[in-house]
Amino acid sequence: MKQQPEKLGIREYIAIAILMAGARATEDTPATLFQKVENAAWMVPILSAALFFIPLYLLLKTMSLFQGKNLFAVMNKLLGKYLGFAVGLIIFVISSSAISFDSRTYTNIIRTYYFNTTPILVLYAILIAICAYGAKKGIQHVGSVSFMIVFWVICSLIFALLLSTQDSTFQSVLPIWGPGILEIIKTSPGSLAIYADFFLLTMLVPYFKSNKEFQKGTWIAYIFVSIQISAAIFCIVCFFDQSLGGLGYPFHTLIRYISLGTYIPNIEIFFFAIWIMGAIIRFTAFLYLNALIFGQLFKIKDFEYLIPSIATIYLLIGLIPESPIETIVHLKLTVRALAGPMFAAISLILWLAALVKGEFKHAKNKNSM
Amino acid sequence: MKKSILKSVKKLFNKEPHFKEKSNQDRINLKHRDISTDYDENLEIFKSIFSIPKNSDVKVREFTIRTLNRRAFILYIGTMVDGAYIQEGILKPLIENVQPSRKIEDILSFPVEETKSKIGEITEDITSGNTALFVEGDHQCYLFATTNIKGRAIEKSDNEVIVRGAKEAFNEKLFDNIGLIRKKIKNENLIVEHLVVTVRSRNDVFLVYEKDLADEKLLQSIKKRINSIDSDSVIDLSILEQFLEERPRSLFPTILNTERPDRAVSFIEEGHIILLMSNSPNCLVLPATFWALFHSPEDHYLRTPYGNFIRLLRLVALFISMFASAFYIAITNYHVGMIPPDLLMAIAGTRERVPFPSIIEILMMELAFELIREAGLRVPSPIGPTIGIVGALILGQAAVQANIISPIVIIVIALSGLSSFIISDVSMNFAIRISRFLLIFSAGFMGIYGMAGLIILGLYYLVSLKSFGVPYFAPLTPHTFSAKDLIIRPVPMKLKFRPGYLKPKDMVRQGKDS
Repeated sequence: MKQQPEKLGIREYIAIAILMAGARATEDTPATLFQKVENAAWMVPILSAALFFIPLYLLLKTMSLFQGKNLFAVMNKLLGKYLGFAVGLIIFVISSSAISFDSRTYTNIIRTYYFNTTPILVLYAILIAICAYGAKKGIQHVGSVSFMIVFWVICSLIFALLLSTQDSTFQSVLPIWGPGILEIIKTSPGSLAIYADFFLLTMLVPYFKSNKEFQKGTWIAYIFVSIQISAAIFCIVCFFDQSLGGLGYPFHTLIRYISLGTYIPNIEIFFFAIWIMGAIIRFTAFLYLNALIFGQLFKIKDFEYLIPSIATIYLLIGLIPESPIETIVHLKLTVRALAGPMFAAISLILWLAALVKGEFKHAKNKNSM
Repeated sequence: MKKSILKSVKKLFNKEPHFKEKSNQDRINLKHRDISTDYDENLEIFKSIFSIPKNSDVKVREFTIRTLNRRAFILYIGTMVDGAYIQEGILKPLIENVQPSRKIEDILSFPVEETKSKIGEITEDITSGNTALFVEGDHQCYLFATTNIKGRAIEKSDNEVIVRGAKEAFNEKLFDNIGLIRKKIKNENLIVEHLVVTVRSRNDVFLVYEKDLADEKLLQSIKKRINSIDSDSVIDLSILEQFLEERPRSLFPTILNTERPDRAVSFIEEGHIILLMSNSPNCLVLPATFWALFHSPEDHYLRTPYGNFIRLLRLVALFISMFASAFYIAITNYHVGMIPPDLLMAIAGTRERVPFPSIIEILMMELAFELIREAGLRVPSPIGPTIGIVGALILGQAAVQANIISPIVIIVIALSGLSSFIISDVSMNFAIRISRFLLIFSAGFMGIYGMAGLIILGLYYLVSLKSFGVPYFAPLTPHTFSAKDLIIRPVPMKLKFRPGYLKPKDMVRQGKDS
């Protein structure tokens, strides 16, 4: 029985967005930020959010001109067939490399912290297989599952951070500006990639009842995520102080350290279980988005059938680097430094193109009529 | 392309078997004919249809209607009718009446159900317990509702035991079942619609719903599904359930099967549709979500805090029965650091002399528990309790003493087994017990990572399940308007809305002013 595709609800969308973007606090982002701006790292997410707000706002405004059209349709309309395709290809390449490196990072986390003797291929393949299965079910179902677990993910994050305050020193955020205001401002544009997911999520507009609902959901999730990441980094900075510079994945070190009273010394498994569920949702949504982009680029209507093969390719790309820390960190940092500003620039270009083409005036006339 | 090739290859090797079947075309043609006005011909036809006198309980009684001075015979199945009715209401007036009257209806005190002339239709009526009266020279046959089938009385509900609330349960008699529902909803909008599912045994299915609540589209889709059943006999509602389900191979049920009329009524009043069948002491509720299967009527009969307490308890039980054994395996095999050192020493000490890995231990005990459970169900009731004692005491105790099982495994299994009894719905209970095994394997394979992966995989699967177009976890996700009666139930005054996923014609449960 073929059923009508359902619409994506705003709750489910917010849940996906929070799981996708909010997960950054639990991987290596705090550590990389700390290396640049030391104890002022917690400010960067907020500053970047403020900075990325402008292109995202303009992008959503441009998108609202074209009701029910996704990012690629808008790009094709505004930039023309060839330029639109070229820009789309760039986005696809960037997001593809991002998903490969990110999923590899997560697999590394699983291996280094919890399953030291299991071959990386097994851990990685399980992760990707589950994501491919979920992504093939469709974004509505991914949304439903993420809505069901997002509460627990946030609760466990808050719980872990609260437990960590037992042993943290709040003085370590002082001096408040870290290495200096100038340094923070210089870092912020490079960290725009934290919010790059929101740029990709605009692909989901056709699944909504209206553009307005999408905008509302995006802003709620955007504000929530920026506060969540910033608060998490704040707690992590307080907890580790200077030693944060030498750590790869501070959140996982933190959950290994904390304990529930004296009787239960290790509770990292609870946090790990919930964290990995969130991570699976994250990559499922990410995988779905990439397949969607691919389908749009090459005009494949039933792109859901591509998901298993695309997932396999990402798995293979992610497996290439032999020594993960060295290679991945370098590649990832380059991709990240590139992705944020690039997406911001594309948003601005789209807005400018709409402005020059007079689409805003056009829409206004239409409304007044 | 590939599929079509595969299909044709499959066809080549997998030919439908051909049987030499005897044609009964004559019989089918006969059934479409009208009865004749000739007395002897009618008698002959029906005697041959019902194989009289070979068929010992089909009775024919020939007599003369005195006032009309015409010959007549009645035909009925002796085991399905009330003999006294026929004697008092049909035979006596016809034979003894002396007042001159031309019409059969005026002579008889027994109400004439209807008159029919098609042979096939008359045959159907007789087989369902009606009495047929054929009068010489009449071109139609009189049918009387004399059915009196023996069966169980209305008894207490056995499988869904509750402390508060109505105790009566459905039985095998359809009229009693519909009466039980009618008793609770005194409203002319309650419709009891009759459908016939199969051609050969003509199994009746009754759709019960409220006309001004149930969604028309849902009703149509259910009727369509019932009509599309291609089978010669569906003898029970539980088999009909399997025919109706969208995914009959799925581990999780998508139709609720209950034996409590009060529960059925509460679903009808929300806008669900109920299916009843004769000879089945239960009813089907369509569509059913996870929540419908998870809730128990007791939650609503108890005061709000108590009702919510048992619901939370049931949720905890669901988690324990699903995850306890798997969690034990994951912890002891992969994440030993999690166990506090004292406890770890204790566990290691008891496991010291056990030769098996812990997953074998758990599987053995789970299997033993399932065996005890199944055996307890099947044994004749006088020795039932003994089985429990033998199973629990002897098996458990002896296994520990023989160093086959460590005591902590007994605790884990007992806990998870006990918890599984709290899920009252039979299908849901099975689903959880079977998925427990899957979780045990995944935990044995990959520890907590395997478990988390399987949970997410299962959730992806569950949210994609649909029961007649209604998502499995609605109204939680995807969100629709509802009374918010999911895990925690509000006080009854706040249960104002019917579930939005049913698209009921009337969303608000109205109060006085309407």
